[in-house]
Amino acid sequence: MTILEFQRSAPLTIGVELELQVLNTRDCDLTRGASDLLALLARESHPGDIKPEITESMIEVSTSVHTRYAPLAKELRGIRAALVKAADRLNLAIAGGGAHPFQHWSERRIYEGPRFKYLSDLYGYLAKQFTVFGQHVHIGCPHGDDALFLLHAMSRYVPHFIALAASSPYYQGVDTAFDSSRLHAITAFPLSGRAPFSTRWSEFTEYFDRMRSYGIVESMKDFYWDIRPKPEYGTIEIRVFDTPLTVERAAALAAYAQALARYLLVERHLRPTEDLYLVYTYNRFQACRFGMEGNFIDPVTQKHRPLREDILSSIEAVGPHARELEAGQALTELKLAAGTGGNDAGWMRAAYGRSQSLQDLMWQASRRWSGER
Amino acid sequence: MAELFFLPDAAMLGSRLLWFGVLVLAAIVAGELFERWLRLPRIVGFVGAGIALGPQAAGLIDTDALFDLRIFLHVTLGLVLFELGQRVDLGWLRRNPWLLATSLLEASVSFAAVFGMLVVFDVHPVVAAMAAAIAVGTSPAVVITVAKDLRAQGQVTERLLLLATLNSVYAYLALTMLFAWAHLEYRRAWTAVVLHPLYLIVGAALLGLLLAGVALWLMRHLGKRTDAQFVGVVALVMIAIALASALKLPVLLTLLSFGILTRVLDRERRFVSLALGRTGTLAIAVLFSLTGASLDFRQFHIGAMAALALVAVRFAGKTLGVLALARPSALVLRKAALLSIGLAPMSGVALLLVQDMLSLYPEFGTQLSAVMFSAIVMLEILGPLAVHYALKQAGEAAERT
Repeated sequence: MTILEFQRSAPLTIGVELELQVLNTRDCDLTRGASDLLALLARESHPGDIKPEITESMIEVSTSVHTRYAPLAKELRGIRAALVKAADRLNLAIAGGGAHPFQHWSERRIYEGPRFKYLSDLYGYLAKQFTVFGQHVHIGCPHGDDALFLLHAMSRYVPHFIALAASSPYYQGVDTAFDSSRLHAITAFPLSGRAPFSTRWSEFTEYFDRMRSYGIVESMKDFYWDIRPKPEYGTIEIRVFDTPLTVERAAALAAYAQALARYLLVERHLRPTEDLYLVYTYNRFQACRFGMEGNFIDPVTQKHRPLREDILSSIEAVGPHARELEAGQALTELKLAAGTGGNDAGWMRAAYGRSQSLQDLMWQASRRWSGER
Repeated sequence: MAELFFLPDAAMLGSRLLWFGVLVLAAIVAGELFERWLRLPRIVGFVGAGIALGPQAAGLIDTDALFDLRIFLHVTLGLVLFELGQRVDLGWLRRNPWLLATSLLEASVSFAAVFGMLVVFDVHPVVAAMAAAIAVGTSPAVVITVAKDLRAQGQVTERLLLLATLNSVYAYLALTMLFAWAHLEYRRAWTAVVLHPLYLIVGAALLGLLLAGVALWLMRHLGKRTDAQFVGVVALVMIAIALASALKLPVLLTLLSFGILTRVLDRERRFVSLALGRTGTLAIAVLFSLTGASLDFRQFHIGAMAALALVAVRFAGKTLGVLALARPSALVLRKAALLSIGLAPMSGVALLLVQDMLSLYPEFGTQLSAVMFSAIVMLEILGPLAVHYALKQAGEAAERT
């Protein structure tokens, strides 16, 4: 018996989910505000979908399904406007960023709801330490085999996603020296990491059924993989992005993933094998720790090069596909970030350098998120 | 007996320091008892210990001792007011103007309700107005202490702190103006009516500004070391109280404006939030046990019934005000109801105001003071319970660790 039927979806459609921080305006610590915010937002109509997350200091927003970058960015800006307006009335601030720089995880409150209660009971302190904020990008696939092809081929580019989105250099009050400290909070979970290698949906279904018969998982939700298939949506979901500090960056990252997907599916030059994963954890660590300055080992050619170079040449390579998808502007922005502009972790370190105050850094971050600068 | 000079003599049993120590000890034990076993706010235990050891029960702390210990009361209250000023965000009123409307409405409706009731009971209108003005205020100390003890966060908590700050200010201003007006009625010196309130408001704001300037200058040089910042703040609060008293300015307004301006002017966020920690527990134990000892029960048998009516009418007025504007101010009705309950505690500062009023106008008689003292006694004990209940029910209290 299988319940894991892959719903067909229009290929190369994209959707974005963002986990966001709910802060007080006093010292910009995380605060208990999600349920009040959601109650207020429920009164008025707004674009997208806004949901609770596991703690009261987190909310998750998601867009509808898009085929193009521009309308996706527009919808994200609309969601942001509704959120900022509601937060203002409740004296709350909203910010992006992969982790809060100085929150104490023991202060977090679990949002009321059966699934959150279950997770909290199961994972104990991990559930509260899991107060980290990611961006998830869904990419539509016509069938399960393509989804698995894409999932494994994309694994080569996971370091790109990490370095471009990294926005969690500070954690528990200190500079972690990582550009993205968030991913290591996820590594603590038993079902994190990468998906097992298989390129046939039937094989994957078999694996899932066995895991379920052991009683290890109940649904795909129990896997915290970097990239996981989402059969009920007919998508693969890339989960390694830190939530960027701006919705513009979030939209651009989704557009890059979409262009990469088209490049991989159309040109089919990269044949997924288990060997892709020999360098996976090395590259992933380099990207988390050093961002764009990290070292990158090409799993096919075995050549070493700075991650920055690999990102820039990959942006070049997917250019024609991005133009086809009307996402040229998004790639121009990311090219700038990979070149001189830097990622959000760099922005955060510079902001902290000016004020020497993590509270002030979060205040600046919340201003940046609301689009003021 | 001269050769036994080294033996203690019985006079030390009268030492104020000794009994003050005993009071604080009793307060902290009672507080723990309340918190751990009854799961009730510890400040009720502090107040209870104060009542038990105070002049009207055991008498270990007598009225003279209370007078001498006033300095502790003032400094601890000063710290609490500064912290409250620092915590409330007046910018919120701009971003959500309906909150300002809520604040003005709950204050004026509760004022009108109490005033109306007292006039119906044949109280002289000026006196009724003064009593009503006192009833407008919610105790800032009770609200912030219970909120901090519960580590509460959320809309009910934040709004409660804001409304309590604002209505304490209204209460103070209304009372000052009423005093001035009474001057006119009894002494016909009209300049006092205009100039006195103006002097109080502008003076308190300017003094607050000066102190905030000094505080921020100090922070720039002390850096982010919380212990140094904390000691600096305590010292400045003492100086603020002394200066305000010397200049005959209201301590309440001075410290609130000091706190508010310290936050507003702190553009670089140098000020780490005031972490009172263990010292805070001591301050609060002192504050509330001394308040408990100051409670005046002697007239309780005369005033109790009328006081009960006053408490009920005041609560109805505040509830009406908060509920009426709940929706436009973006609060669900259930939380608005809890917010109204949280506004119940009447200020210990009201005690001082009533005493001032009596010393200035003894002709107002004992009838009203009996009612006011009784109402304060009731709310000093019920108030913390109300705030505790409201924040717990709103789901804003931290889980017990």
